[in-house]
Amino acid sequence: MDWFRPSFPDFAFSFLSVLFEGIPFLLLGSLISGFVDVFVSSERISKLLPRNPVAATMMSGLLGLVFPMCECGSVIIIRRFIRKGLPLSSATAYMLAAPIVSPIVALSTWQAFSAASQNPWAWTGLRLGIGYLLAVGVALIVHRLRADRILQPSNVGGSGRRGGLNIAPSPTGEAQDFSAIVASASLPRKLLLSIQSATADFLDVAFFFVIGVGVTSLFNTAISREVLTPLAESTPLAIISMMGLAALLALCSTTDAFVAWTFVPFPPQAKLAFLLFGPLFDLKLFWLYGIIFKRRFVTLLALGLFIVIAVLCWRIPTEVFLSGN
Amino acid sequence: MNKLFNRWLPCVTLAAWSAVLLVFHFNGRVKDFLAPTFRPYVPIAGVILGLMALIFLLFRADASCCSSAECGHSLSRLATGKILTFLILLVPLTVAATFSPDSFGKTAIENRGITEDYASLGIGRPKSLAPVDMPLPTNDPTPPAGTPGDSTQSNQQPPAPEPAATDYLVRTPDGNIVAEVLDLLYAAQDNVLRKDFEGKRVQLIGQLMPDKTSAAQGARFKAVRMFMYCCAADSRPVATLVETDKMPDLPEMTWIKIIGTPTFPVENGRRVSVLKAEKIEKTDPPEEATLY
Repeated sequence: MDWFRPSFPDFAFSFLSVLFEGIPFLLLGSLISGFVDVFVSSERISKLLPRNPVAATMMSGLLGLVFPMCECGSVIIIRRFIRKGLPLSSATAYMLAAPIVSPIVALSTWQAFSAASQNPWAWTGLRLGIGYLLAVGVALIVHRLRADRILQPSNVGGSGRRGGLNIAPSPTGEAQDFSAIVASASLPRKLLLSIQSATADFLDVAFFFVIGVGVTSLFNTAISREVLTPLAESTPLAIISMMGLAALLALCSTTDAFVAWTFVPFPPQAKLAFLLFGPLFDLKLFWLYGIIFKRRFVTLLALGLFIVIAVLCWRIPTEVFLSGN
Repeated sequence: MNKLFNRWLPCVTLAAWSAVLLVFHFNGRVKDFLAPTFRPYVPIAGVILGLMALIFLLFRADASCCSSAECGHSLSRLATGKILTFLILLVPLTVAATFSPDSFGKTAIENRGITEDYASLGIGRPKSLAPVDMPLPTNDPTPPAGTPGDSTQSNQQPPAPEPAATDYLVRTPDGNIVAEVLDLLYAAQDNVLRKDFEGKRVQLIGQLMPDKTSAAQGARFKAVRMFMYCCAADSRPVATLVETDKMPDLPEMTWIKIIGTPTFPVENGRRVSVLKAEKIEKTDPPEEATLY
């Protein structure tokens, strides 16, 4: 198989580099999650956003501009916010939009496509604009669905489910209410509880992160990119192949624009599809989304996004991407 | 058994992750895995994970998310599931940290495809070259006339002439320009810079790879370097062509130092960088093996 040539040293090198890049952000997300768990009450969270669910969802989709967070970190925070009572549609909008609708991503996309003959404003505007609309669109669909049908049982409020890693010793006797313990705790004790909660979150998500990074590192190093080149001649095939590649490579959204740009023979529509689909869904995110949503929903989300992005990008005329000069 | 899962395994896991991050930071290997922007986060994360391990070890948790209704750990509640969980958290990281090289091998480079076109990288002027309006210091000990530090100059003196562009380039003690692969690729598309390199002797370090694409006279190979945007996973091999009378008798991927003269012929309708080698010798990898 010329198109698939795995090598263990290359795999290990790529695997470790993504872990080194991702762990600090995963940790940051866990620490924020632990802080929110202990110091931010459900009531306070419910007051953060407008009461109108559509307005709240649309506003949540823009929060990445103020609180930029990569996909690895945002999943942990969002899980905590969902458990704290943040509307699921708002949480979904932020989770999906934050990796695209962010100043860092805007800057990197603009820079990557600012070469001669390209219109960087169009590239950046289309990426952020369509990314935002897709995130809000999915969130509004989620708003119409019953939470218990799409969320993992442990994330549905008041399920009372226990289990999992169980990394901290359970209290003996009667099950204690965590909120009651927090309410009566001193500040040092609250800090301790916050760190313990962050630790639990970190280990829980790191498990899926390791699996996701392992799978993507294998594809990242083993697939020969030469095999994709013949697909560049047909726009629909190019779009599909670039989206598939985005899912396999699982690149960080802050730098994927530079990688997309390197696929010179590919039409701009395929590159835009790569830039839209990658941050919204990839193999690593399949595992990470799975800690919030049921796998069936995650699979449907992936398929839905794949089809919508492919059709949208296909319909955009090539001239839009080019500068007028 | 419960104590193993509740206390020791999480501690060991956090400590192991912390140790890997800190070891790679302190032995300097992290520079091969991450671009400079991302490196400072590694020791910070290592220290925090170490502290978390310590806190977990020292303070018995009398409540946690696992003891509340909010607990959502989605993994198995069986002992085997928990063991598997910790194996996945520990084994891949430690195995990769133990056996990972500090660079990609030939297979990954071939799979990614070697770039010889600077425009396809989507980046601006290489950092190794001074910006047009902000020259880098040279190795020449004599400062150019008119520099702010020149105390002998009075305000009445006419402004000194602009130093030649080549004054901005770093040179070896032998007077050869120290060039990176990216510099020559950039020069191939930049008229001004091309003149600064054309016909001058340069020294360039790269990894030897065969050239299977260009059909030109003489023996040609590629001097390859990895160019990284963010982390090694997104890095790309970039190369300049090297022309020589006799192919060096060295294995592929060997680090070589080439002294030669850059040329920029038009081949297949595209201006390319071809370094006409005068001397090729095996060398150690540079301190920063990757270009950014």
